[in-house]
Amino acid sequence: MPWLERIALSLRLMRREIAAGELSLLVIALVIAVSAFSSVSFFADRVERGLRLQATHLLAADLVVNADHAALQPYRDQARAAGLSTAETVTFPSMVLARGRSQLATFKAVSAGYPLRGELSVQFADRIQHGQLQPAAGTVWMDARLMQKLGVALGDTLTLGAADFVLQGQLVREPDGAMDLYNFIPRLMLNQQDLARTGLIQTGSRARWRVLVAGAPSAVEALRLDLLPKLKRGERLDNIEEARPEIRVALERATRFLGLTALLAVMLSAAAVSLACRRYLTRHTASVAVMRCLGAGQGEILSLFLFQFAGLAVVAGVLGTCLGWVAQAAAVSQLAAGLTDNLPQPGLQPWLSGMALGGVLLFGFAVPPLLALKRTPTLRVFRDEPVPTHLGRSGYLLGGLTLCGLMAWQAGEPKLAVLVLLGFAVFLLVAGAGAWGLVSLLRRLPSGGKVGWRFGLANAARRQGLTVVQIVALAVGMMALLVLTIVKNDVLTAWHSTLPADAPNRFVINIQPPQRAGIEALFAAQGLPAPQFAPMVRARLLFINDQAVRPESYADDRAQRLAEREFNLSWTDTLPADNRSVAGAPWGGSGDAFSVEVGLADTLGIKLGDVLRFDIAGTEYQAPVTHLRKVNWDSFKVNFFVYGSPSLLGKQAASYLTSFYLPPDREAAMSALVQAFPNLTVMDVGAILAEVRRLLDRLTWAIEAVFGFSLAAGVLVLWAATLATHDERALDAAMLRTLGASYRQLRTIALAEFVWLGGVAGGLAALGALGLSAVVSVQMLEVPMRLNLWLLPIGVGGGAVMATLAGWPTTRRLLRVPPLWVLRQLG
Amino acid sequence: MGHPSLPPIVQALDIARQVHYGGETLSILRSVNLTVRAAETVAIVGSSGSGKSTLLGILAGLDHPTGGQVALFGKLLASLDEDERAKLRQRLVGFVFQSFQLLPALTALENVMLPLELAGLKSAKERATAMLVRVGLEKRLGHYPRHLSGGEQQRVALARAFVTEPKLLFADEPTGNLDFETGDHIIELLFALNREQDTTLILVTHDDILADRCERVYRLADGKLTETGRALA
Repeated sequence: MPWLERIALSLRLMRREIAAGELSLLVIALVIAVSAFSSVSFFADRVERGLRLQATHLLAADLVVNADHAALQPYRDQARAAGLSTAETVTFPSMVLARGRSQLATFKAVSAGYPLRGELSVQFADRIQHGQLQPAAGTVWMDARLMQKLGVALGDTLTLGAADFVLQGQLVREPDGAMDLYNFIPRLMLNQQDLARTGLIQTGSRARWRVLVAGAPSAVEALRLDLLPKLKRGERLDNIEEARPEIRVALERATRFLGLTALLAVMLSAAAVSLACRRYLTRHTASVAVMRCLGAGQGEILSLFLFQFAGLAVVAGVLGTCLGWVAQAAAVSQLAAGLTDNLPQPGLQPWLSGMALGGVLLFGFAVPPLLALKRTPTLRVFRDEPVPTHLGRSGYLLGGLTLCGLMAWQAGEPKLAVLVLLGFAVFLLVAGAGAWGLVSLLRRLPSGGKVGWRFGLANAARRQGLTVVQIVALAVGMMALLVLTIVKNDVLTAWHSTLPADAPNRFVINIQPPQRAGIEALFAAQGLPAPQFAPMVRARLLFINDQAVRPESYADDRAQRLAEREFNLSWTDTLPADNRSVAGAPWGGSGDAFSVEVGLADTLGIKLGDVLRFDIAGTEYQAPVTHLRKVNWDSFKVNFFVYGSPSLLGKQAASYLTSFYLPPDREAAMSALVQAFPNLTVMDVGAILAEVRRLLDRLTWAIEAVFGFSLAAGVLVLWAATLATHDERALDAAMLRTLGASYRQLRTIALAEFVWLGGVAGGLAALGALGLSAVVSVQMLEVPMRLNLWLLPIGVGGGAVMATLAGWPTTRRLLRVPPLWVLRQLG
Repeated sequence: MGHPSLPPIVQALDIARQVHYGGETLSILRSVNLTVRAAETVAIVGSSGSGKSTLLGILAGLDHPTGGQVALFGKLLASLDEDERAKLRQRLVGFVFQSFQLLPALTALENVMLPLELAGLKSAKERATAMLVRVGLEKRLGHYPRHLSGGEQQRVALARAFVTEPKLLFADEPTGNLDFETGDHIIELLFALNREQDTTLILVTHDDILADRCERVYRLADGKLTETGRALA
């Protein structure tokens, strides 16, 4: 038959199959799978975009060219030529004079368009205003701390350098305020056009010039790549991941979690569709035999089915993806109200992967049994012959491989995809063997007990192959949901423990050794917890082994900066509890040694055993690196890149620093501290902390929401999976009813089977989830693993309940219809 | 009535079929020889499990013998691959089965259209409709098999078998699943269509009365096929 005719015939056959309801279950399973998957993808994509956008608020831009000089015009022009928006800021410390008082402040001159991302909030005399705002020429805004220190009010006149200004507004929130080095100093904002008038910026002024850039992500990324090699000394690019490590870590975790969710949605879909395909093809074995009798060749039959499936994949792909979009849009409008800013619209990827999923699932799971089906012995028309399945089994490799590809694409992170795939592959083998063993055991159990339970369990044992397939599919689905539950809890617990409500919001530096006792006493008098002091010395790294450390030895920008700047070194008997050993061991009280943060070691190429030589106030100190450790930078606690052993540095003259939590109403305690010890500098990191916490709150919300969404989608997919095997149950029930079984007996039989199936699947899923989630949490999300043994009883119980809830409603309906109807429909 | 001068349509020579089961070898067919000429009607009778359906499957090229050779329309089946045998059946052979074997997802009309569509023939719908009218099912065109009685399903199967005007029809216990009266009507219809189209018929049955309606009757017992003249004789 020519190809065109073949396609036309297969489309006609598809139309007939749809009319007859033969494709309904497969279409339902496929559409549910695609829509579940794509709704999660859409949602995750939008949340991720939203979070990135939110994070860019901390920069007030997508990308910042940051320099110690003003000659940034070419960069600005290039960004504009690329169609991107730009704005400029200049930040520097200087003195403000008002009412006869002077006060050090961080000045920020801003151009039109500032801020490009996020909102500025300013309190004017009559109103509060949010948005892209800049002070008018001749006016300034300042924060409440500065107003309080100067004793000024709105409308007062101030002097900045050579010019006078009117204080017009109070800075309430500055999106990128947290990013400034001098953020602990009170802040003042003026218009860039006024900068020259003040005469404050001279050659050699300690100021930072920034060009803020924002626009389409692809254009920003292109600009970033183009600018990187062009940067001159004293210039660098900031993006959010580089600027704030704690935010990068949080974002990475959230992104990985969202990726994991989408991966597990693929797994769930695969479980449901493979069962639905199996049912469809089992029902078509006889048809294939008849078609062969009627003269259709093997290739012809295969192509007729393939074209039908292709049509089906397109229909299910489009329908499922659109439904997925609608579902997530509805969820966002319900859930997001008041919790997030408007989420950005999703990108192209969720659309593409949703459409592709239908085809991948169908071909991955339908083609292998189809290849076996085309070999159906034609003699089946005379009697039931077994259908060869060996080709089908090896053919699942095709499904597995395509699934792998899709998952790798979806995860956007090969390591995570490989971990999850390996985890599930091992689980499939183990669960398959376990289920097979359990069913075999069931067959050997002595017959006894009430007829309902006996028959229900015997049913499961009799259809050993089908039962095993069903248990494994259900277990895969449940495992996906359990992994998600555990990992979600691990991530959230890790966040809450690193940034508790009483995370330090004040740093005090420049504490001299004799002042420690006085400060402790003052803290006690103020009712604050006793401070922990950490010694600190400034040091320059001279040599790694015999290699002199020079900026030009490193290609990496960060390494260059680290090589030329001074380090803060500290020493301690015991390292902070939140530092995690990566290699080696810290000193045991004796011996000269260094412990180095692993990120710094990587950047500068320091290995365990290397000898470091530091210059501290003109004296050189040398010792081997005996320990590498990971530092939890998002904890806001005092931490150092390098610690020395007390024997090495302990006698060094040092200043001390401490960090602690100051409740909001205890600001007076800080005034008392500074009055008693005027040399101390108190840094307020409350603003940074608040920004980070705001972001983490959103991440938490996003993760909870995506999780809830996946859970709902997963339950729906499991329901479709249970539907796929209801034919066999329906036939059995009809036969038993014909033989006189009561409704009560049939109900017990069905429930026994569901409880047993679900319980076994849930138990296996719990075991698998324990293993996989431990690996994912530790390896990918870098959060501590907890062994949740309670998962086992929850898995068994939950599985039994879930399988019963999913399977019982349709089965109950079948038990009430006349048996002959069922026998005619399915027999 | 077939004539000795006409070319043989089916020729089976020394057919054997053995199966291995539980370490033992069972001989289902032993040295079976059969020649059927155009327009002949031949019945093969035998008790249940005697190997009738196996022989029918081998004669129709649906199964392979373990020994001997079968030629259909002068072509050795062993020399054709699976798809070539399928093409041969498509052009020249029809089937009627004991369990009807209608496709459950297709209506009566679509079931009858299917062999025409598989052969890529035009006007499939018109020809299938005419055939269903011929078997008296003009009011059942849009019905699915599950909504038809056993007799009606077998009439659809007859229509499907005859719609391509095959030269050879294999019928496997065509009344096996029907009551006596319905079976009788089906047989009348089968032989009427057979006469109209001058089809060669090979009928497998355990019903001696039905077998006696054929020109020649063979009995299969202990794997051997012997011509008996009249089944009820």
